[in-house]
Amino acid sequence: MFRIGLRDTKAHFRRFIMSIIAIALGVAFVVGSFCFREMLNDQVAQMMGSNSDADVYVRGATEEKQEPGGSVTSYNSTYTEISTSIIPDIENVDGVTSADATMQLGNAVLLDHNGDALTTVGAPTLVIGVDQDDPWRSAHFVSGEYPQTDDEIALLEDTADKAGLKTGDTAKLIVDGEAREMTVSGVFTSPSTQLGAILILARPSFVQHVLQEEGEDTSSIQFIGVYGSKTTPLDEEAQQQLADRINKALPKSADAHAVTGDSVRDDATKSIQDQLGFIQPLILIFAAIALFVGAFIIANTFTMIVRESMRGYALLRSVGASPAQVFASVLIQAVILGIVGSGIGVLLGWGLLEAIAKGMSSGGMPLSGSPAPSATDVIIGVIVGVVVTIIGATLPAKTAATAPPIQAMNETVNPEKPVKARGWIGIVMVALGAAFWVLCYLGAAKRVDWQWLKDLGSGWTLGLGAAFVVIGAIVCAPAFVAPAAKVLGWIPSKMFPVTGKLATRNIGRAKRRTANTAAALFIGVAIVSCLGVVASSMKTSVNNLVDNNVNADYVAMSASMTQPISTKAVDAIEDTKGVGASSAVYMLPTVKATNAEKDVMTAAIKTDLLTELAPVGQQDGDAAKAIDDGEAAVGRTIADDEHWKVGDVIDLESENTSVDEEATKQASEAYQKQAEAQAKTLQQEAQQLAASGDVSGAQSKAKEAENVVKQAQNVDPKQFVKMKTETKTEQVRIGAIIDDSLYADSIFISVPTAEKITSKDMMMVTQMYVQAEPGANVEQLGKDLKKTVKPFYTVSVLTRDEFKSSMSSMINSMLAIIYALLALSIVIAIFGIVNTLALNVSERTKEIGLLRAIGTSNGQVRGMLAIEAVILSVFGTIVGIVVGVAAGVVIRAAYESQGMTTLTIPWDQLVLFLIVAILVGLVASISPARRALKQPVLDAVASE
Amino acid sequence: MSKRTGANATSPIVAKAVDLVKTYGDTDSQVTALNHVSVDFRRGELTAIMGPSGSGKSTLMHCMAGLDVPSSGQVFVEDLEVSSMNQKQLTQLRRKEIGFIFQSFNLVPTLTAEENILLPLQIAHRPVDREWFRKVVGVVGLENRLDHRPSQLSGGQQQRVACARALMERPSVIFADEPTGNLDSRSSREVLEFLRTSVRDYGQSIVMVTHDPRAASFADRVLVLADGSITQDMDHPTYDDILAVFAEHDDPDNGPVSVESADAKEA
Ligand SMILES: Nc1ncnc2c1ncn2[C@@H]1O[C@H](COP(=O)(O)OP(=O)(O)OP(=O)(O)O)[C@@H](O)[C@H]1O
Ligand SMILES: [Mg+2]
Repeated sequence: MFRIGLRDTKAHFRRFIMSIIAIALGVAFVVGSFCFREMLNDQVAQMMGSNSDADVYVRGATEEKQEPGGSVTSYNSTYTEISTSIIPDIENVDGVTSADATMQLGNAVLLDHNGDALTTVGAPTLVIGVDQDDPWRSAHFVSGEYPQTDDEIALLEDTADKAGLKTGDTAKLIVDGEAREMTVSGVFTSPSTQLGAILILARPSFVQHVLQEEGEDTSSIQFIGVYGSKTTPLDEEAQQQLADRINKALPKSADAHAVTGDSVRDDATKSIQDQLGFIQPLILIFAAIALFVGAFIIANTFTMIVRESMRGYALLRSVGASPAQVFASVLIQAVILGIVGSGIGVLLGWGLLEAIAKGMSSGGMPLSGSPAPSATDVIIGVIVGVVVTIIGATLPAKTAATAPPIQAMNETVNPEKPVKARGWIGIVMVALGAAFWVLCYLGAAKRVDWQWLKDLGSGWTLGLGAAFVVIGAIVCAPAFVAPAAKVLGWIPSKMFPVTGKLATRNIGRAKRRTANTAAALFIGVAIVSCLGVVASSMKTSVNNLVDNNVNADYVAMSASMTQPISTKAVDAIEDTKGVGASSAVYMLPTVKATNAEKDVMTAAIKTDLLTELAPVGQQDGDAAKAIDDGEAAVGRTIADDEHWKVGDVIDLESENTSVDEEATKQASEAYQKQAEAQAKTLQQEAQQLAASGDVSGAQSKAKEAENVVKQAQNVDPKQFVKMKTETKTEQVRIGAIIDDSLYADSIFISVPTAEKITSKDMMMVTQMYVQAEPGANVEQLGKDLKKTVKPFYTVSVLTRDEFKSSMSSMINSMLAIIYALLALSIVIAIFGIVNTLALNVSERTKEIGLLRAIGTSNGQVRGMLAIEAVILSVFGTIVGIVVGVAAGVVIRAAYESQGMTTLTIPWDQLVLFLIVAILVGLVASISPARRALKQPVLDAVASE
Repeated sequence: MSKRTGANATSPIVAKAVDLVKTYGDTDSQVTALNHVSVDFRRGELTAIMGPSGSGKSTLMHCMAGLDVPSSGQVFVEDLEVSSMNQKQLTQLRRKEIGFIFQSFNLVPTLTAEENILLPLQIAHRPVDREWFRKVVGVVGLENRLDHRPSQLSGGQQQRVACARALMERPSVIFADEPTGNLDSRSSREVLEFLRTSVRDYGQSIVMVTHDPRAASFADRVLVLADGSITQDMDHPTYDDILAVFAEHDDPDNGPVSVESADAKEA
């Protein structure tokens, strides 16, 4: 049997090409998704290894409760902070070379040699506080050295290359809205490629100072990194021993605990990897589509082969082969096919990833290591491929083994199993899914107020609804094939009376096959239509908002995601000639509404915003007046969530960290006093020595004393900076509730009110709206504004249109990725259609021969098959569009309060999908038609 | 291309084969299915072709209808040389000049009887002559079966639909390869009656292959083929004449009946 299977495989190889491609694509996706995850994990692990490379970490001993639902995603936020004052204690421990609280600035911008801000695709810009005394072991200098002064920085080689800077150059670093001239003291590499992050080393004192300016408390920290050696990492055991020694030395009051570097790295690596985990399932969806089509193509192909070889099988059986043996001879072909297909798939997946890695490198995100699949990946890929193939081939193999030969001859007459039951089951599922969606909609639109629905969350109702609708649609599709063919065939039947009619009737013959073929297209189109609706709704919502609600002529935004617009820039803009009404939006990250159930954002604004720049349409009370009166205006969404009404009182609280002038002065004075005392003692000693006749001893003592004085004079005052944390609270009455979606989800107060509880340093300006003075030249103002913000580098001034398109372009680039995936699923769907048509043609060989014998031209046969294919693909596409658009509508409704106020259905896109579907059908019909026409009429008519 | 010049329309010959040779296989295992056959088929006649199995009847039919290409020699239908036509011309020929009835599987399963009957006209974009349609359907006796699918018709009914379809387009000549091969004697007689009626009343020319002497006795002329050559050409033979010919030529083992059952199995 094995030999027969092998020989048959050879004979059918051409037939198998399509199946192999489908399986290969599916397996490529599967393997690719695994490799991709591993590649990312490798990067993360490597980055952790080089960036968190301390031998021992000292962290808080008490675990902090994470706020449920809080957006605290950072991995190291689960322990209390510890004081930096314990660093000297740690440094005294035996075996410790250095102990540092490494601080970072995440919001700096480096300018390249042309003076343009250096941007990355997603990777951060970090200024890391390290120097000769507090080194970073993983940094290896290729030229120069650590920064020696606060005016020096060292750059990662990749960063230096991107910026066109080298050691000795002058670079501009923008920190806290100010451009500072820095000298590049050195260029270094690290074992990890840093994924395109821009890494800048600066002296710890510089970083600390900037952080303090920003109101950050630098006296406490999450981690203190400890090196046991400046050059070589300690092994696990040595790490543990060092940690134990440190723990012994740590005072109880410090509430700190030392752990090995490895354990911290492992935890952090794992948590980041978990965060990136969502990517793989996304890829696997498309793998599933490919494999589904693959299994289906294989089933079709084998049905065709088995049908054609029915006589052979009957003969085998009649000479004594058991059904099991016949079954095996078919299945062997499937196994060979599966192995070949998945082998190609593994290579394809690997190649794909190499290409992605190359693309990422050239896109400024170099990866280290090779994305080669591991042995497990290969095994998983091959198993998946073979299993799918076997599943596809089982049914045809069973037919071959058991069906009486006579049945095969009358296949065209054999009635299909009824599809009615399936239809009903599917309809029930779709209805169930729709019900979930309705619930989701009702919940989101606040039509009902059911606690359980809120607890369930819109994510669940959306997801369950989508799952039921999609699966239900696939289940019930066969029942709708015949009616759909009638409807869709109407136009072609009018245009081409005979071929149209024949094609329409043919579609209804193998309903399951037709429906399954269409399903592949259905899923892909559904996903894309849904995203299309969501994206275009997002775009129009933003545009409408800008068009209808925003009167500002210009919007100033920060070009870097992390850096706010500095207050200096705000002042400069306000002072620009021609500026009329203007208002910055000051986010108040430190301010919390303590009597709110959820986390609510608070922002400070000028009333210009409410009256001129983005006038409030509907409101309870008068928002502008309320804010002027020191009251708050609250967005409708929040008011509803928190059940607040006008007249209620909100408790605002802010924890402010600032430089404690008093303590700083004391510390500084204490130091000076100590130095003076020391100098005095030394001088006294010198005098004593002089008195006793030891002149040289007296001189050296006197010099020592002089040095102490000098040192005390030269000491960096920053060293003594002490921080303090104050909590200020303020009760603010709600003066107005604003309905406009622009204001929906924040509490608004005036800047003076905000200053009662927090300082201007702690406010973050993310956007600023500007209107021209009445009578001023708007265009001229734009030019002037651009000039004004030039020295701030990271602030950009956008016109209304630019503002709108800045939002759209973000959405568009997201869509591009999805479209790329769609293109792939279309390719796979084409395979499915080609294959189904090929099977249809093979089943109808005789019929097509007959048609030709009575005068059907080749063109008419081609036309008939083309119409069949087009009906099929349009059927899948339309169901996909309907389901996708419905899902989009529900998602839009669910996120209405988040600003998706306007539903827009991208008709042009949907029409485009339909046109593509028609083209897909036409293309798919070419090869089956060629096969149908290749057969001489006589052979076709005479064939069994 | 205009087919029927004035002279042709009245020509008594509707189709002819000239020195037709058809061989299968390569040189060392060659089978000669037609061995220099020359024959004229007259207009308005029902010609029956008989002969033992493997004598080349189907091959002749196929070559005449342009379904197969002869190895040498020529085929003319209405003075058009079929044997040298390309695909396009053949399609035109099938639409206008030739009707074909197979032994089985003559109908498109997705179409009703009526649609099947009208199919050739629609394929050729020709107008439907309703009058003629009613007449043809009346003759076949299928008036109340018109909206049935082939699977809902008996074998005899299916063959009659096939005959009606061939007749509907009023081709110059209809070739029928064992049209009654799969039918019982009753259905078989219905179909034959119909063929004869259409020849007699409507002047249709028909060439029919049959193994059944009784069927052949319906014909105006009976040709007997043996080993690829025509051995007999009988004008209006009676049933007994035909039986007599076969009694001479065939031993009982290779008689018509056993051949027919073998055929059915193969199909
Ligand atoms: N495709 C083919 N390849 C090889 N030989 C063929 C082919 N078709 C027919 N023949 C041979 O040609 C000869 C004539 O065959 P043909 O089908 O014309 O016979 P027939 O008179 O129709 O027989 P039957 O009464 O059994 O239908 C036979 O010997 C047959 O074996
Ligand atoms: Mg024959």
